[in-house]
Amino acid sequence: MDFNPVPFDFAGSFSQWLIIVGILIGGSLGLSLLLAVARNGASGVPMFTRGLTSYLSDLGSLSLRRILAITSLTFKEAVRRKALLIFVVFAVLLMFAGWFLSNSNSRAELQANVHITFVLRTIAWLILPAVIFLSCWGIPEDIRLRSMHTVVTKPARRMEIVLGRMLGFGTVTILVLCVMGVIGYVWIQRQIPENVRNNLTCRVPVFGHLLFIDTAGQPSYTGINVGDTWMYRSYVQGNSRARAVWMFSNVTPDALVGDVLRLESRFEAFRTVKGSEKSIREGIEGQFTLVKNARDEAFGGFALGASTREMADLLREGQFRNAADKLKEFAEKIRTKPKDIPDPDYAGLAGGAQQASGALKVLNSDTHNFDELSQLFKDLFDTTFQLSDRKAAAAAGNTIFEDIAAKCDAVADYLKTNADDLLDHMPRLEVPLPTFTVTEFHEGDDIREVNRKLEFVADYETLGRFLAKTISRLNDAGKVVEGDSISPAFLDTLAEEKEISPLNAELLLTVLTEQLQSGALRVADGKLAVADGRRWFPFFDDLVRRELLVSQDSEGWLLTLDLFEDLTTAGFLRIEVSCLNDQMYLGMARPDLFIRLPDRPFYVGYTKAILTTGLMLLLVVVIGVTSSCVVKGPVSVFLTLTMFIVGQFFHDFMLRIVSGNEQGLGLIESAALIWQHRNPSVGLDASEATQKFVQGIDSVSTGFLAGVSRIIPDFSVFGSAAAHVEKGFDVPLDASVWPSVAAFFAFMIPCVLLAGACLKFRELESK
Amino acid sequence: MRDGSCPAVSGHFFDILVGKELVMQNESVIEIRNLSKIYRDFWGRKKVQAVKSLSLDVHRGEVFGLLGPNGSGKTTTMKMLLGLLFPTSGEMRILGKPASDVSKNEKIGYLPEESYLYRFLNADETLDFYGRLFNMSAAERAKRADELIEMVGLSKARRRQLKEYSKGMTRRIGLAQALINDPELVLLDEPTSGLDPIGTREMKDLILKLKAQGKTVIMCSHQLGDVQDVCDRIAVLFQGELKVLGRVDELLEIRDEMQIRTSSLSDAAIADIQAVLKKHNVVNSSFQKPKADLEELFLRTVRESGERPGRRFSAEEIATGTGDNKGAGGSKV
Repeated sequence: MDFNPVPFDFAGSFSQWLIIVGILIGGSLGLSLLLAVARNGASGVPMFTRGLTSYLSDLGSLSLRRILAITSLTFKEAVRRKALLIFVVFAVLLMFAGWFLSNSNSRAELQANVHITFVLRTIAWLILPAVIFLSCWGIPEDIRLRSMHTVVTKPARRMEIVLGRMLGFGTVTILVLCVMGVIGYVWIQRQIPENVRNNLTCRVPVFGHLLFIDTAGQPSYTGINVGDTWMYRSYVQGNSRARAVWMFSNVTPDALVGDVLRLESRFEAFRTVKGSEKSIREGIEGQFTLVKNARDEAFGGFALGASTREMADLLREGQFRNAADKLKEFAEKIRTKPKDIPDPDYAGLAGGAQQASGALKVLNSDTHNFDELSQLFKDLFDTTFQLSDRKAAAAAGNTIFEDIAAKCDAVADYLKTNADDLLDHMPRLEVPLPTFTVTEFHEGDDIREVNRKLEFVADYETLGRFLAKTISRLNDAGKVVEGDSISPAFLDTLAEEKEISPLNAELLLTVLTEQLQSGALRVADGKLAVADGRRWFPFFDDLVRRELLVSQDSEGWLLTLDLFEDLTTAGFLRIEVSCLNDQMYLGMARPDLFIRLPDRPFYVGYTKAILTTGLMLLLVVVIGVTSSCVVKGPVSVFLTLTMFIVGQFFHDFMLRIVSGNEQGLGLIESAALIWQHRNPSVGLDASEATQKFVQGIDSVSTGFLAGVSRIIPDFSVFGSAAAHVEKGFDVPLDASVWPSVAAFFAFMIPCVLLAGACLKFRELESK
Repeated sequence: MRDGSCPAVSGHFFDILVGKELVMQNESVIEIRNLSKIYRDFWGRKKVQAVKSLSLDVHRGEVFGLLGPNGSGKTTTMKMLLGLLFPTSGEMRILGKPASDVSKNEKIGYLPEESYLYRFLNADETLDFYGRLFNMSAAERAKRADELIEMVGLSKARRRQLKEYSKGMTRRIGLAQALINDPELVLLDEPTSGLDPIGTREMKDLILKLKAQGKTVIMCSHQLGDVQDVCDRIAVLFQGELKVLGRVDELLEIRDEMQIRTSSLSDAAIADIQAVLKKHNVVNSSFQKPKADLEELFLRTVRESGERPGRRFSAEEIATGTGDNKGAGGSKV
């Protein structure tokens, strides 16, 4: 199941496909020419040219009527040879499956899962052998029985025979699949227990990207490993600064179900102490926090480098002037002692600058434009990134470090000059949601509903910004000051503000009056102003942090925000998860939290799963027919089955070997190590020359494997849709359906060309 | 005849004569030049040379027979003509096009040695399928199928799957599929194989009829009598080489003998004739009753049996041709 439904890169895939197919066609033509010359001498060249011309001419004169004639013949052949008996097997399986599947699990979603899995797998695995045998035996039997003679001696092009055969077997396959699909659907609906039927739905998830914040508050790609065998799930420590950070994109009001945003999660609980019985029963406590932290998103990347971490902290705290000083110091160090700075710190600088450049563009709004700063960071990144080319960097000498330092200075100057603006327009807003519990046994509801209008107790910065915004607005409207003092009607004015309670309004009036009297505020031109020229937010932020504005209500400063207007930036929504219990851990992987969009009916996902299964079976037909144009029936069956098994179960493994990500050595070297009873870390017990020789052969075999991995289809692509439906998800078009369609056509087209050529240039009656 | 002065003659003979006229046009429908075929094993080593430098022409409108013992290369030659096998060297042009050009098949009909048709189809479906391969419209296919099924006498069995057909019926439907496109050139591999004498006769009649329609027919056969009956020219192959090529009537003519056929003669008449022959220094003359060939006997028996069910014929009746039979009562010199 793919949790990364990024839009299918059709253009990229297509260009890659063109290159591979081009290489294959070029190679095939070259090989054919060589063979023709080897067998016939100089006359091989005109023979090759005539053959190629004839092949292309055949391609240009294909007749749909002839293709459909062969399609119809193939269909009749399959039907009259009792291929449809497969329905009987399916019916028998369905008749008795109910005995074993009903009440197979106490959890409703797992019961649904078992039934759906059974039907989808049964359909695929029942049709598959029938399809392989039909498609692999059709043409060889035609040749063996010489029925083919009566066809190829008609004007039927051999390409038409191939296409007709593929279409015919494909039609049988689709017919069987559709009938089985409908029967299976009805069976699931009727067989599944009454109380589980609500689980027959297609959840539509929006998965985010997962990062972590460690216990020191610094960003990290992973959390803590508590010793799980599987590394994909990381844990956050309870009662610490550690958090899991999910960043969701494209979050719009369309995601609402009614007036709420549904968050579905399934975290793992891990305890270092057993805890009380109550604790075990209730589970470990966690909390979601909706965060809009422009400063962290823009500058958090600098924390990855030790030299820039302090600067990153200052930037995230909004202390832009201090951060600028730090950056200046760092620039000076780069300028004077560039070699003292370790490479990872330069990488951190480059990575931070790149992240800042991108994130700042997203922050652009009507009120503020970050383009200039974004460009400065981009320049810094471009310059620093030159260091990655070590040769060029060495050639450039100290000039390159001078350039980097200059770019740092430019950024620092901008930060210092525009510190107030940046602080005003780069807020940090945190909205904690009610806590939840996670048990080891995953009992209870995993869905949290988040209202669009969120009422929450404001933290310091949020309160400061709220008050600054409110007072600024009222002040601009002339409702704060009357004469040289606070207006007597100010309290009534505040009472009109829904989010300020009467007690807090009185407190605000008192504090403002005191500040005016103390000289921190002054009245100028009938308006209230901060005496030292600061803006309203720093002024109120200071008051809040000095705890002069502690809420007089027991509930605190209750503010209301709009989920989409106030908490998302350009469609990005950040959700942080923390564990609240000490010595406990919450484990999570990327798919463990998602936004659940309005559900779709079950048949939608089911149909998509059947469709991709159909594409898989059609590809098997295509491969079967293609191989049967070259070899005899039994060999063709073996070949097709092998391609399917390798493509279905070992494609990923093959790619890992080719890319060097799989542990172990090359083919010969591994075999020799087994023979010598030695392990890979020790290496081969042979001379250096022998080792190099063996490695040379292994590199050839790995290259061959790389070629094979391009030729054998990745059949697991087609299973992705069924995996989604089995787990109760809708099938994303981008992640499952389009890749399946593309994979089918990507292999079908060269297979048809190859099969047509093989059949055309094959003697049908050789002795 | 050529000047059209011939009075009304039977259509059969007329057709044959027209056919002869076409033969005389000498337009080559098939041109084979230096054709060779070597069968090789998996490793490319030579196994056998099936055809050796074969050159011959087949003219438009003639019935051409390819003869030879088993393994002489006649079927290989035919399959190369059809594009089922590729020549090792040499050239072939059929109807003016290279043998490898599929479009030539639009004007060719082919009856394989055995009718390798799709046994799960019935006669209608079979002809419809092959008609579609010629891009014929549905109406055209239906019309042509009706005609051909009627012609080959399978009207009552047209809905039965071919797997239920006898060998003769299979040959007939095979022939029908070969003619579905009204071809200019018909290639028949052992056309009378598996047919009973009636079927054989009908097949031979049909071949002559095709010839009369101006079509060119090439046939391979071991049934030399059949070949002699219908072929204008023959080629005899042996071990892949062309040994004999020529017109059947010329090749079979015994130039230093004469044969006179009369009604039955008395002993006196025979003595007189022998005296005359002696006077003209004719030696080695012989007088004997002619014999009907077995095919003729069989056909007559079947015909009579149909007319008089339950009756058995004596050898005398057969020899004298009593009743309404055309007797074999004649003498042959």
